[in-house]
Amino acid sequence: MFKVGSKLFLGTTGFAAVNLVAYLIFVERLAIGGVALSMLFAALIGVSAAVLMINDGDDETQPRDTALTRASMWPLIAAVGLVLLVLGLVVSQLYFIFGGIVLVAALAEWMVQAWSETASDDPAHNEFARRRLLHPIEFPVIATLGLGVVIFSFSRIMLAISKNAGTVAFMVLSALVLAVGSMFAIRPALKPALVSGICVIGAVGIVAGGIAGTGAGLRPQLAEAAAEDHFSHRECGPEKAKYFDKKAMKTLSLRSNVAAVIELRDGKLTADVYGFTRPQQQVSVPRANPVTFIFRNFDSAERRMVAYLGTAAAAMPVDGEMAGKHGDTNETCTQLIPQGAEQALTITYNKPSIAQDNDKPFTLTVAGLEGQAIEVVVP
Amino acid sequence: MNHRRSTEPHVTRRFSLSRMRRTPLSRAMVRATTAVGAVVGLGSCATNAAQDTWQPKGPNAKMIDDLQQPIFAVAGIIGIIVFAAVSYAIWRFKDRGQPIPEQTHGKPALEITLTVIPALILAVVGVFTFRVIFDLAKTDDTELVINVTGQQWWWEYDYPAQNEWGITQPIITSGQLVMPVGTKVLLRETSRDVIHSYWIPALNGKRDAVPGRIHTLRLEADEPGIYAGQCTEFCGLSHANMRMEAVALSKEDFATWVANQQAAYQSPAEGTLAKEGESVFLNQCVRCHQVDGLKRPDGSLAIAAPDENVWSGAAPNLTNLMTRNTFAGAMFDLLRDACRDDVWNAESAEFGAKYLAGVDEACLNVNDLRAWLRNAPEVKPMYANPALLADTNGKYRGMPNLGLSESDIDKLVAYLLTLK
Ligand code: HEC
Ligand SMILES: [Cu+2]
Repeated sequence: MFKVGSKLFLGTTGFAAVNLVAYLIFVERLAIGGVALSMLFAALIGVSAAVLMINDGDDETQPRDTALTRASMWPLIAAVGLVLLVLGLVVSQLYFIFGGIVLVAALAEWMVQAWSETASDDPAHNEFARRRLLHPIEFPVIATLGLGVVIFSFSRIMLAISKNAGTVAFMVLSALVLAVGSMFAIRPALKPALVSGICVIGAVGIVAGGIAGTGAGLRPQLAEAAAEDHFSHRECGPEKAKYFDKKAMKTLSLRSNVAAVIELRDGKLTADVYGFTRPQQQVSVPRANPVTFIFRNFDSAERRMVAYLGTAAAAMPVDGEMAGKHGDTNETCTQLIPQGAEQALTITYNKPSIAQDNDKPFTLTVAGLEGQAIEVVVP
Repeated sequence: MNHRRSTEPHVTRRFSLSRMRRTPLSRAMVRATTAVGAVVGLGSCATNAAQDTWQPKGPNAKMIDDLQQPIFAVAGIIGIIVFAAVSYAIWRFKDRGQPIPEQTHGKPALEITLTVIPALILAVVGVFTFRVIFDLAKTDDTELVINVTGQQWWWEYDYPAQNEWGITQPIITSGQLVMPVGTKVLLRETSRDVIHSYWIPALNGKRDAVPGRIHTLRLEADEPGIYAGQCTEFCGLSHANMRMEAVALSKEDFATWVANQQAAYQSPAEGTLAKEGESVFLNQCVRCHQVDGLKRPDGSLAIAAPDENVWSGAAPNLTNLMTRNTFAGAMFDLLRDACRDDVWNAESAEFGAKYLAGVDEACLNVNDLRAWLRNAPEVKPMYANPALLADTNGKYRGMPNLGLSESDIDKLVAYLLTLK
């Protein structure tokens, strides 16, 4: 009745139960951990029941007395995982997580290997049983890890070389992949050793390149842009800003269900407020809640919309990056956009309108366009 | 080929109910069925079910009703036919030990018929359903717009300036949505935290309030009165206590209500208990609750900062608290039972005047209000535990227990009564 598999799962279930009780007593009663452990426990009960019911899925193979065991590397790897796990408790969570993954994986491999080696008299059959169980897991995991390393290495190469060289490298590499792939496809009879040899050489080359690229550092333009903060600094004047206004047409706008669409047409600014039938000069938005406006420019000149956010630190753009950067100017803006273009601006107004001076309400204006403003009312 | 039963007799018996003691089981089943049937039956007969979906009180809900009645009838007839056929088959062909009859496979004529008939029925239902869906989504005939913002666990309403309604400055309130009768009202819904759903069954279907989006919902009431509803998207601990009411007033009464909501703040007279309450309020409550026009002793306007103290970023605006009949997400009545019934059951001609009278000292449901001020999280579960603020940046979910003394509560109640 109780064979290896059911013993294993019943044991694991008991272990999970002990863990759950210990967690509830010693750690915390109302925490997500308790829920997770309960679910694990419940799932294991299910698996154990299934394994018991199908009688371990065993036919009547008799385990041998003398084990045909081979040398195994899994105890060693499990030990490394355990050390990393313990080290992680002191050093960093990353070690802990990595060690945990290594430990669990090694234990699983070890267990399956030990089980398979005593499954029957026939070593070939035993190895078959092991593969049957583990290959569907091993192959995808190894492939994902391997491809991840290759892709990451490739991205390091691209960040290090110049823009033009990057284009060339990309074309050469993709051409190579296509050529080699086609060759494999045309000649299915190629020796497996040759195929894997070519793949390994390619992968090693890319990884080596990635290591070299990391050593060389970012290409100068990228390093400079990061140092000078080109990406998140907003300049809200009527003139074109060197970095902020780059590629204004390529910004995605949030089209659906915005608080209002602010249109500039014939030098006049109007608000098309979702739900109102007529254009408005005022938009009422809830306090302390991100709201999105879309600015549409129908003027022939390039224009940007500027949101005045009040005298106090009353509001802030939702994008935290932007918020800190423009300090006490208390305004934010879209990019400068040409005729027919549109951009979205998301803002959280934290204080009500009554917190503002009466002559300086929250507004949406267009830089360089006098006398046109949409008032934003925050009740 | 002659299909014989392949299962061995003893296997069949092992899983059959026939060996169980028959009487207690069937008696229990009869009882359970009767009980469920009675609950369902009696429940559907309730006359004063405030949230009955089958009693439309406005054109939008009527549209849904006109759709669901015939569909329910068609579905009911089909349901009866199917039940009858299945019951007949069960009874007629029940296992008496006879051989399994011949198994047939593939009868195109029958299969096509049985596919085409339901498809046709669904197509007809679909056409009418789509018409109603599109009609309910219309926004171009709107007469009054109201913003609705959901948060754990109450609804906030604000009325954007609309001169045709005399709304010249924003009005903000909570719990009870006040609207004129016979008017196409459009709600613009959003949420400050999780997804909620706005549903006044007598006036329209549900519409989710989703953070970052604005969804519209049409409401229109034929008669003055109060229409109850409830948040219908699970939103956390006090989801069941997140209620709301739509209050429909005649157009004249609505104008009176609007004028009153916009009236300037009146500080209580010096030397009164209410005046003392105002200063307790300034010390204890103003960090979360806005009272428009309330000034600090130094003459500056008191600006509430719920964005710094409450997780969702908002707490109800209390400027005109006593003009509403409920509080804390319409979970509690501000009126004593007798006064509340008087308003709820008023004839539609008298309803407006009774509602507009608001809450006075004689009618105030002082017990629930005091309990709320004494320890809000005890009467409405809200995760407002000061020991757990690390998870929420030191902000409260809901209103915390402020540890007020009974005399402070006396003063606050006197003050809150002046907020009309
Ligand atoms: C930390 C913030 C906070 C403080 C301080 C606070 N409240 Fe509240 N209060 C809330 C929140 C949030 C709600 C909404 C709770 C709900 O309905 O779920 C609320 C609800 C209320 C309501 C019901 C209002 C309505 O329309 O539904 C009243 C009345 C109230 N509070 C009175 C007071 C008084 C009086 C004080 C001062 C003694 C006070 N509150 C202090 C956060 C606060
Ligand atoms: Cu809700």
